[in-house]
Amino acid sequence: MNEQGSFAALLPLVIFMVVMVGISIFVRHQQAGKNFVGNYFIGNRSLGGFVLAMTTVATYSSVSSFVGGPGMAFQIGFGWIYMAVVQVTAIFLVLGIFGKRVALLARKLNAVTVVDIIRARFQSDFLAAVAAFVIVLFFCGTMTAQFVGGAKLFAAVTGYSYETGLILFGLVVVIYTSIGGFRAVALTDTCCALIMMVGIVLLLHYVLEAGGGYEQIMTSIEANHPEMLEPFSFGNMPWTIYFTQWLLVGICTIALPQSVVRGISYKNTEGLHSAMLIGTAVVGFMNIGINFTGILAHGVLTGSPADYGGVDNIIPTTIVTVMPKELVGLAIIGPLAASISTISGLLIVASSAIIKDVYMHYKPNAESSRLRILSMATTAIIGGAVFVIALTPPSLIWLINMFAFGGLETAFFWTLLLGLFWKGANKFGALLSMTGGTLIYCATQAAGFKILNLHQITIGITISLILFLIGSYFGRPSDKKTLKIFFPQ
Amino acid sequence: MTKILDFKQDLTAAEKFSLVKREAIYTGIALAGLIIFWLIAGFGLSNVDVKIFHLPLWAVAGSIGVWFFAIFISFILSRKLFKNINLGGEGDE
Repeated sequence: MNEQGSFAALLPLVIFMVVMVGISIFVRHQQAGKNFVGNYFIGNRSLGGFVLAMTTVATYSSVSSFVGGPGMAFQIGFGWIYMAVVQVTAIFLVLGIFGKRVALLARKLNAVTVVDIIRARFQSDFLAAVAAFVIVLFFCGTMTAQFVGGAKLFAAVTGYSYETGLILFGLVVVIYTSIGGFRAVALTDTCCALIMMVGIVLLLHYVLEAGGGYEQIMTSIEANHPEMLEPFSFGNMPWTIYFTQWLLVGICTIALPQSVVRGISYKNTEGLHSAMLIGTAVVGFMNIGINFTGILAHGVLTGSPADYGGVDNIIPTTIVTVMPKELVGLAIIGPLAASISTISGLLIVASSAIIKDVYMHYKPNAESSRLRILSMATTAIIGGAVFVIALTPPSLIWLINMFAFGGLETAFFWTLLLGLFWKGANKFGALLSMTGGTLIYCATQAAGFKILNLHQITIGITISLILFLIGSYFGRPSDKKTLKIFFPQ
Repeated sequence: MTKILDFKQDLTAAEKFSLVKREAIYTGIALAGLIIFWLIAGFGLSNVDVKIFHLPLWAVAGSIGVWFFAIFISFILSRKLFKNINLGGEGDE
């Protein structure tokens, strides 16, 4: 490790992480003596509107939203913001379509996870096991991307080593998630979302100041980069990207298990309604704010992205260039908070997939003390495993992130949407859709096969639908008892 | 507030699920509306030679305009079309 960073740059992050651990310990203390599983995995269904909105937004917004995204905006221009703004649909869609239905069913079935609901709807332990496996597998990919992205940003901005960054924020997030469970994740996510917004405002302010003001920067862009003011960016932003992004980060995100599980965790419908409004406002602010800042970075970085080592280095270089030294540490908390909140959100759902969906299904009468130890240990082991993978970062990490996103959507989109809203959906259809769709998605990714140069999510989601319909046509209909629970008349 | 609580208590399970299905359909319609707005605000205005704060009209309408429209949609959904119901949890008396 080559440590040349200043402690001043490190201090705000250290304080932030100590606060996160403090919240986790406080939550753990408050939950002592209560129903462990319900508390640890869904916070005993007690989230209010504001926290529900913030935790959904924070888990959804990853480090790539704060690093790779604005770097691309620097290169492409306003077409990138036009594409990224489709993410304003993410919160009101998932809460509007699944929020109440999942909440009603979870209370009826005493469900704690999305897989619990899938198991009850399709009456299939095998499907539940496949769903849990898919969650753990793809979540590990996404978490690795968050660890690597966050640690690289940390190293580039503070001067400390990549490994120091991993230990400082990576290990700490594993520890506080293991200790506090879902409730701690929701509260720390809220802090992360707030700090992300502060970070955006701070960076925007210093970019404008260093670039000589808004008017000067925009005049320069108009003169030197006219392509940035055109939606197709003179061919750099083809329609295929717009189309696939609508699927990948817009419509299909409603089926992400880490978002749907928020529907199980809130207190009442007043809170849900508030969360739809607050979440939509916040996610739009973040997306437009950080990508606009990426574009305005032209005021301080006059070269091409390649001159700074690629689009991923635009925001770190901007931070180092424009921020006063004493504020650099504060500025990176925003992007790191995006990374931390995504890791914690995924970690607790991955842990629940193993303990609640697999272990407890076969050992329903396990003692509470044993479950407590196993749950915390599982969370720590998954986090630790991803941490070890991140120590030797694989290449093409951002592609792994998007690959995982598409895989989860292919596996869960039709299973959840048709399963919860269509009586004709049955076990065979769901099995074919989840296994067949996901395998074909992975195969097309591995082979680099595309149709019309569209992202493989289009193939995965289409095949997944076709298989679902074929399976439901030929399979045995769901039994009346199940249908009475899911579609009461 | 009393009215809301009354509404919560009056619904049967079947009515709740029917209401939730209707709200999901409203959300789907809202999505379709947002997609149309997005298309018109961005691509639709891309040939209009008007600038606001040094930005072409499409860039403003296709970003901040879409964001505001999404907030408006969320407001209509959550405050006008969606109803409060008793979920059966501790928070619902």
